[in-house]
Amino acid sequence: MNLPLINRRSGNGKATSASPAAGGLVTLDDHDEQSRKAQWSADKWLIAGALLLGTNAAGIFGLPLFLFGLKKLRDATKAGLSVRPIMVTLIGYLVMVDAGLNLQGWILDLVGNHTLIYRVLYTAWGNVFDAGYFWHYNQLWIGGASAPGEKAWEVALVLVVFPMRIAAAIAFLQMKRWGYQWLIVTCWFGVVIWVGYTMNMTVFADVRYDGVVFPVIGWWIYDIMYITPFLAIPYLHTVNREIFSD
Amino acid sequence: MSKSTSKTDVLAEVDSQNDDLPLGTTKQYARMHRWLKRGILVCLVGLVIEGSFTLPFLAIYYGYPTLGFRDICSELMKVRYSDDSLECKYPYDFPGPPFGGAPEGAGITTAKDQWGVQPKPEYPRIGFRELVRIHDERIARQNGEKAGAGHP
Repeated sequence: MNLPLINRRSGNGKATSASPAAGGLVTLDDHDEQSRKAQWSADKWLIAGALLLGTNAAGIFGLPLFLFGLKKLRDATKAGLSVRPIMVTLIGYLVMVDAGLNLQGWILDLVGNHTLIYRVLYTAWGNVFDAGYFWHYNQLWIGGASAPGEKAWEVALVLVVFPMRIAAAIAFLQMKRWGYQWLIVTCWFGVVIWVGYTMNMTVFADVRYDGVVFPVIGWWIYDIMYITPFLAIPYLHTVNREIFSD
Repeated sequence: MSKSTSKTDVLAEVDSQNDDLPLGTTKQYARMHRWLKRGILVCLVGLVIEGSFTLPFLAIYYGYPTLGFRDICSELMKVRYSDDSLECKYPYDFPGPPFGGAPEGAGITTAKDQWGVQPKPEYPRIGFRELVRIHDERIARQNGEKAGAGHP
């Protein structure tokens, strides 16, 4: 079902209802066109921002771009245009950034584990937060992290979950029903990841935390920012799904 | 009032209640959605700050720029395997393991661990810029040994 989104938006609707009186008739097509333009104008900033956010080190330069795009979207919403809700925008982009950052670290550990930058900065990260990325590093036949079970998580998540999550997030941002459905599916994958991964770390806590600079609590403070699925799931199960069209 | 009119009224009422709410959010869940939005923004900004500052912080913590990346790589390797003779090989033979040869740590048996079903590493915790001190002390010691060797 492809419901028209006109008048099913935030804002009080005064802006659109005032327009015809002020400047003549506004047709549904005009409104549609204006909304589409406003959406794309905001998305250009949001996409540029999100690409930088996903790079780690250059993320700080992406944040102003992203926030500016968010502001443009909010202004368009307030002006009564039919644009994507802020929550959908935030969840979609956060899922992409979260998945992108995870992919970056894990793909490098899988195939770039002998690069100098990885052997310095990422094993240093391991030494500070999680010695799974320091202990016997590059001793396993496949290279990279040697912590028990870690490679299995990496392969499963890099090859299956995170690409699926990024695809779902893109379709979700396009307000497609399959994007919404697959975001629910992959957010529940995210819950499985969190429970399985933290349990693995707990069982092999000596390997992960002995001799580490900021063990356990440090890891939690650092990694709690990846808790995206737990914030997205309550929204996804309570939002009116009819706003996502087939 | 006919049945259809009352239904229209109810719909109109629901619509007016939802008028100030974001698309897709019903009044029942408006408060939860507001808190989720705040949480998501915190996570987004948190990820950006972490992403931007962690790697520079790590580089400084482990001795950059006093030590170059190759030095830090070697110092970390010496700590990891409790062996001062180990050096980071750079550049490493491309493409590296698993299809292009053995990994860097292959065959090293000097790492100190209490082995068992749950291994327990015994390398020391590395303090702030401690690698610089360890590096300088070893160089001084080696220089001293060389100088000592010249005077039997």
